[in-house]
Amino acid sequence: MNAIKHTSLLRRLALAALAIVAAVTAGRAEEPKDTVEHLKNVEVVASRRPLATVQALSGAELQALSNTSIADALKYFAGVQIKDYGGLGGLKTINVRSLGSQHVGVYIDGIRITNAQNGTVDLGKYSMSTLESVSLYNANRLEQCQSASEYASGATVYLQTRRPNSDSLTVLGGVGSFGLWRARANAQFARKGWSGFLDAEYLKWKGDYPFRYKSQYEDTVGHRRNSDIEYVRVEGALFKGGFSSHAYFYISERGCPGGIVRRLSDKYVNVGREWDTDFFIQGSWHKNFNEKHRFKANLKYAHEYLRYNTDYPENQNTARSDNHYWQNDAYASVSYAFTPFRWLNLNTGYDARMSWLDCDLRRFKVVRRLDQKAVLAMQAEWRGLRLASSVLYQHYRDHTYAHVGAADPLQKWTPAVTLGYTYRGFSARAWYKCIFRAPTLNDLYYTQVGNRNLKPEYTRQWNIGAEYHYNTRLWAASAQADAYINHIDNRIVCLPLKGTYQWSMMNYGKTYCRGLNATVEGRYMPREWTFSLLTSFTLQHDVNRTDPEDEDTYDMPICYSPKFSCGITGIVAWRNYSLTVSDLHVSRRMWSYADPDDVLAPYDNVDVKISGSWRWLTASLEINDLFDVQYEHIPRYPMPGRTFRFNLSYTIGNKSKKI
Amino acid sequence: MTLRKLATAALAFVLASASSFAQEKIIVVNEGNWQSDNGRLSYFEDGKIVSNEWFREKNGYKIGDTPNDIIQINDDLIALSINWSNIIQYIRPDGTAVAATEDVPNNRKLCSDGKYVYISSYGHECLVNGQMETFERGYVAKVDLSTFKVIKAVEVGYEPEGIALYKGHLFVANTGGYAFNEPHEYEHTVDVIDAESMKIVRSVETETINLYGKMSQVGQYLCINSPGDYYDVQGATLIFDCQAVLDGKADADCFVKLEYAATYNCPTPDGKFLAIGSRFSYYTNEYTFNYVTIDPAEVMEYNGTSGVYDELPGTVLEDLKKMEMPYGIYVNPYTGYIYATDAGNFAAAGALLQWTPEGKYVGKWKIYINPGHFLALPPDGHFGGVEDIVAGPMEADPDPNAPMFNLQGIRISRPIPGQLYIRNGRKFIATNR
Repeated sequence: MNAIKHTSLLRRLALAALAIVAAVTAGRAEEPKDTVEHLKNVEVVASRRPLATVQALSGAELQALSNTSIADALKYFAGVQIKDYGGLGGLKTINVRSLGSQHVGVYIDGIRITNAQNGTVDLGKYSMSTLESVSLYNANRLEQCQSASEYASGATVYLQTRRPNSDSLTVLGGVGSFGLWRARANAQFARKGWSGFLDAEYLKWKGDYPFRYKSQYEDTVGHRRNSDIEYVRVEGALFKGGFSSHAYFYISERGCPGGIVRRLSDKYVNVGREWDTDFFIQGSWHKNFNEKHRFKANLKYAHEYLRYNTDYPENQNTARSDNHYWQNDAYASVSYAFTPFRWLNLNTGYDARMSWLDCDLRRFKVVRRLDQKAVLAMQAEWRGLRLASSVLYQHYRDHTYAHVGAADPLQKWTPAVTLGYTYRGFSARAWYKCIFRAPTLNDLYYTQVGNRNLKPEYTRQWNIGAEYHYNTRLWAASAQADAYINHIDNRIVCLPLKGTYQWSMMNYGKTYCRGLNATVEGRYMPREWTFSLLTSFTLQHDVNRTDPEDEDTYDMPICYSPKFSCGITGIVAWRNYSLTVSDLHVSRRMWSYADPDDVLAPYDNVDVKISGSWRWLTASLEINDLFDVQYEHIPRYPMPGRTFRFNLSYTIGNKSKKI
Repeated sequence: MTLRKLATAALAFVLASASSFAQEKIIVVNEGNWQSDNGRLSYFEDGKIVSNEWFREKNGYKIGDTPNDIIQINDDLIALSINWSNIIQYIRPDGTAVAATEDVPNNRKLCSDGKYVYISSYGHECLVNGQMETFERGYVAKVDLSTFKVIKAVEVGYEPEGIALYKGHLFVANTGGYAFNEPHEYEHTVDVIDAESMKIVRSVETETINLYGKMSQVGQYLCINSPGDYYDVQGATLIFDCQAVLDGKADADCFVKLEYAATYNCPTPDGKFLAIGSRFSYYTNEYTFNYVTIDPAEVMEYNGTSGVYDELPGTVLEDLKKMEMPYGIYVNPYTGYIYATDAGNFAAAGALLQWTPEGKYVGKWKIYINPGHFLALPPDGHFGGVEDIVAGPMEADPDPNAPMFNLQGIRISRPIPGQLYIRNGRKFIATNR
């Protein structure tokens, strides 16, 4: 059995009811992720009984993809829409089934990455190179002993950090198009039950890529300016048995380019620059007591600093400001699972998070938020039939000395229920989840925009789905399909205020979405070869249901939401060599209701990656956007088009490894 | 083209020619979405939208990002400030482009005496006679229309907005609107500039901050909006008397402050202002709306105790109240027809609404995103009630004492400078005398 087959087993394992213990065991048995390395057989005993709707990429397949950022892996999942302002420095956020990026929780090793200020996670800040797997769950993950906050988002992305199982030291150097330089070093160890790594990366990208807008009405050519980024990321992790910990530090400086608009010359450029410093340290510990009791505790502290500066002489159009934002976040959770009978599992958990936000905007005073969550969940099974249900309680209380005062405390109960049936390789499921997102601190208190009277934005999701798995020694195949309906009420949006020139956050709008997500995967593994084909399809009818009186917008598609998208990835691996070709197709999207011509063209993004290793050396070549499509996610923010990237790494250690 | 199509077209042309000449010719400026390069001009003529992409159709390229103002300079020339594109675009009344310059970045509002264009700018540099001049605060540039080059520029307050010309003087309302981000406070002055020399001759202290938004002019009077700071300081409207300034009266006697907002305002042919606006505070998140007609002479005379009427012609008031998001109001100076725009929900097309001069609702037309600025073109041909107009040189006012009519034949007592009127059977442009 080779690595790919093994990881697919591991992935299914990770989803099984008792996966955590098994995953730890298997994780130790496994090599560090490697596209091409062959492994000894790994016996995996836990069977998968799928209940949650999940898509995952792990191990070899994850690394075989273009691995610039986590967004590159997630974009191939069904139901996912990535919003990308272009280039390596451009903000990248994920939207799942059109719920909106603030309804997608991103978790590293089970602990949520939070941003109290705006509630979104910039995926560009997190590296794939230290990850074992990336999974996307619609609604809940449905593991034992989850923390309460794991129940608190509409969709969840889990980033699972890799646990090393050997000692090694790796250095990597990379170059790429438009002035890309990259260096990375990784040291890892595994001994006496302890394991850990230290991973450091430096990247600099000039980002002055050429673009061209050519249509009947214009032929604009130019080079993207102010799109550079430079960052240093250092992270480390330490594991032993039920203990895991992770520390992360990221510091960056980048340009924030604007939209390409009509200008008579290059004379005026709008310069905005951003500096980020992010730090977090987190630890998690879990323990089982006589197989009936399981206990888990998480702790995290995070600090974020952001500076945004537009005070440059080139800036003629904008206010020249230099603002600084500071966020601190302390988090603790405990959860406990009890299995009184083989067929019943009970789970309860309590989370508390305290966030502080300060900035030097006028009229802004420190805001402090205490966010508490508690959950009660149960899972029961009878033969192939399984039921999971949970009820989540959330309580938010803010404090500020600002004159506008703090918003009233918010407390809500929200339910979720899942019913599943498994027969041999076939499973069927149906679930419902109701969840809200609380207004962020920006939504409530940002100077001249915030509105402390906001109500939470609610989502209700219904889903029915089925999946089928087929495995033999040579073949592994699976298919799944889920049909869903989402309702979103009280959307929190920024709108101009009637009769003034001001904008403010408001609850405005309802959307209705129905869709179909499907994935089909097949792997064929004769001798030293592996052939994989991974496909995903999304068909979605996502419409505005805000104002029945407004015929221009009512029942019209949501802006930026494609009706159809699909991803196809083919991987061919032989011994230590692999070739990956991926195509992501996204259909046309409207970006305004004002004119039928206000659409973004459909596009196909084709990425190719070739990698191979020889002794201690590993080399990879990536070509992104092979056909130089230069599509847009946001109108007038062109993507870089075709880019090349070459990496070479050297590893010393007791096994040859690629990182 | 097939013969049949040709015949149909010819017939349509004949029919169109036989019908009356176009009376209502309105250019509406759609700001579009910021940084989306989708500013647009809509052209409306006699009850129909001729185009919602007028500039692009006439010129084959887009106008740019966030157009912010439009004025008529003379019979042959119209100027537009395209704010985020940093372009001053000159077009002919048929929509075709004449010239464009980027010498005045962050341009805001325009006014003209037919020979020069004066532009307010939030920017800090300006190409004057080929030399880059820099300014700590904002400035006003003077463009010579024979060359389309800036010949002079003068520094005013931070973020100058509204600009008007009266008797050879420019009146510039300063906002200081970047006070929220920049290390300076809101402005509270109206700078007075000698248009010839481009020197500041006086700065009128209004004790009212943030003189931001649309500014209208009726003869010697200006209607200036102040949104306040949206927290402690409430919105207000200033009725400003340019003549009082030139007469050397004390600052406090040059304006009257009204407890209304005039976020969107416009002059009427009979010398009044229409204003819609709301006063808003982030403390309470509550609005106070107002829709008013302001008689500036009466306001000045009675120091604001009289002259503001909570009424608009006909059904205009109740129709405006039904709008989702009023975004502009305008009265055609040639015909008296009333227009307003509704920006709707800002993602869909906005609408243009039209009323007769008496305020009878006529109709509603779909235009484009954020329609906020208007310009009426002079009607073609004949005008009701006035016969035998001699077209001729229009600089001079032939007989200052004769009765004066606007182009639809309504007798006018107080002309708007720069607009066309008829006296003694001759068209003329009213001047600031």
